[in-house]
Amino acid sequence: MSSPIRRRRDGRYVIRLDPNARIVLADLARQLPEALAARDPMVCRLFPPAYPGAELAEAEAEYRELVDTALVNHHSRALETLVATAEADTLSEAEFHDWLDAVGSLRLVLGTRLDVHEDMEAPDPDDPTAAEYGLFVFLGELQYLMVEVLADDLPDEGRAEGPL
Amino acid sequence: MSPWTRRSHRIGSADGDPAAGSPPGATAPPETVPLGDLGTLLEEDVATDRPWLVIVWNDPINLMSYVTYVLQKLFGYSKDKATALMLDVHHKGRAVVSSGTRERAELDVYRLHEHGLWATMEQST
Repeated sequence: MSSPIRRRRDGRYVIRLDPNARIVLADLARQLPEALAARDPMVCRLFPPAYPGAELAEAEAEYRELVDTALVNHHSRALETLVATAEADTLSEAEFHDWLDAVGSLRLVLGTRLDVHEDMEAPDPDDPTAAEYGLFVFLGELQYLMVEVLADDLPDEGRAEGPL
Repeated sequence: MSPWTRRSHRIGSADGDPAAGSPPGATAPPETVPLGDLGTLLEEDVATDRPWLVIVWNDPINLMSYVTYVLQKLFGYSKDKATALMLDVHHKGRAVVSSGTRERAELDVYRLHEHGLWATMEQST
């Protein structure tokens, strides 16, 4: 079975996706920029600390001052691309990367809200979080397929040495 | 646009030394150094020379293949090296993925944050 996502020879990316899945994606993506701008606690996972620990609190405050607006703009722009192109059959390279970013942001927010952990079992169908967990799994499958295509475009060769 | 273009305007010098933010010239050393201060000054020099390490931490949400992809894309690692670093993150809980001046490390942390990875930085000991 061929993947529903692939890179075409002309450089555009093809995404075969159920129309209902596209509606759900656009709905989710439409909600997040407002939460980002308001720094709603539910999006805290998108703003990890650079300097953890109380002794570097001043450096952390300076880092937040420096990057938070840029982070919000970066993710919001990607989410807006996803909303605008949710029904498109093919995407430009830039749009495809925006989709990956937006899908990743949505996954992180949903996963944090669901308190996802490794080896977690899917909630019971009657569980109130079951629908949201289903969305989380769907976003993961989408991200997996997108990464597979993008990783194919990267060279296998590169720096073999670590930073130390 | 990277927020660091803004910052380098503000602090003038690179490397994010702790005196950043003072007006230019404010920290120029006196021509003669009182003997008692010499040890402290040398220690400070050593402290600012120690590289900053950029660390990616294990998180239960990001896919393993995504973490590998981001490490290849941002740092130019080979697939094998990026996979090895990702497995360190997964099994040991953390891995050092880059190192350098404070400014360089902050930029790398920011790029990892843009990609949703849980990255922090600390000065090597």
